[in-house]
Amino acid sequence: MAGPDTEMSDEALAARAAAGDASAFEELVTRHQNRVYRLACRLTGRESDALDVLQDTFLQVFRHLASFRGEARFSTWLYRIATNVALMHQRTRARHPAESLEDFLPRFDGSNTHRQTPEELRVASRVEELLNHEMLAARVREAVERLPELYRVAFVLRDLEDVATEDVAVILGVEPAAVRQRVHRARLMLRGFLSDLAGVRP
Amino acid sequence: MTRITCAEGVDRLMDYFEGVVPADIRTVVEAHVSGCPRCAAFIASYCETPRIVRQATDVTLSTDGRQTLREFLVKLRSS
Repeated sequence: MAGPDTEMSDEALAARAAAGDASAFEELVTRHQNRVYRLACRLTGRESDALDVLQDTFLQVFRHLASFRGEARFSTWLYRIATNVALMHQRTRARHPAESLEDFLPRFDGSNTHRQTPEELRVASRVEELLNHEMLAARVREAVERLPELYRVAFVLRDLEDVATEDVAVILGVEPAAVRQRVHRARLMLRGFLSDLAGVRP
Repeated sequence: MTRITCAEGVDRLMDYFEGVVPADIRTVVEAHVSGCPRCAAFIASYCETPRIVRQATDVTLSTDGRQTLREFLVKLRSS
C-alpha cells in the first residue's frame, strides 16, 4: 500500500488508519501532536502532565478509530478525546484549593458605570511591557489553572486553540450560547488578573 | 431598549463580537461605547486578553517529546 498523501484530509487518513494503514496513523499523529500537547499543557498547567495526556490521547485514538464515523471533523473528535483525557488526568491529581478569580471581575458604581478611569481600565493591555516574558508566562499559567473548570475548558478551546464556538459546543456537549457565556466569564476574570499584574486592582 | 449602562454593555460583549446580538441591540451598544471612554478602554483590554494569554501559554512539543511519543506508539502497535 502506498504511503499517505500529505494533502489527504484528516478524515480520509482516519479511514485508512482504521483499516490498518500504519503510515496513515503516523501522519495523523505528526499533524496533530503539537496541538494536542499544547492543549494538554493549557488544560493541566504542567508540561510533564501534558506528555502523559498526549500519549493517552493517541492511545484512545488508536483504540477507537473504528468508531470515528466522520459526522464531525476529525480534529473535533480528537479534541474531544484530548480534553476528556486531560480533565480526567487533572482530577486524579491532588490539588490545593486555589484562590478564586471572582475578585478580578469588573466593578461598577451605583449607576452601573465603570468605577475605574479609562487609563486604569486600559492597563491590562500593557502588561507585556511591564513584566518580562518568563514571569508573565508563569503567572498567566497559574491564573488559567485557577479558572473554574467549566470556564477554563471553554476558554482554552475557543480563545487559545481558536476552535470555532460551534465546534467547542460539540466537544463539550453544550449549546453555543453556553460556550459564549463561559468564555466571556473567563475573559473577564483574566482581564482583571492581567490588570492586577500591571498594578491596577479591578 | 434605547440606552444601556456600562455593566449592561459588558454583559453583551461576547455576543456582540460573535455577531449574535440583534441589530437593534448592536446599535445601542455601539452608541454607548462611542460616547463612553471607560467602555472603549475596557473593551480594548477585553479584546487583548486572549492574545496575551495565548502568547504567554504557547509551547512546542520538544524533539525528545516527539521521540517518546513515537516509541510509545511503536510499542502500542506491536503489542
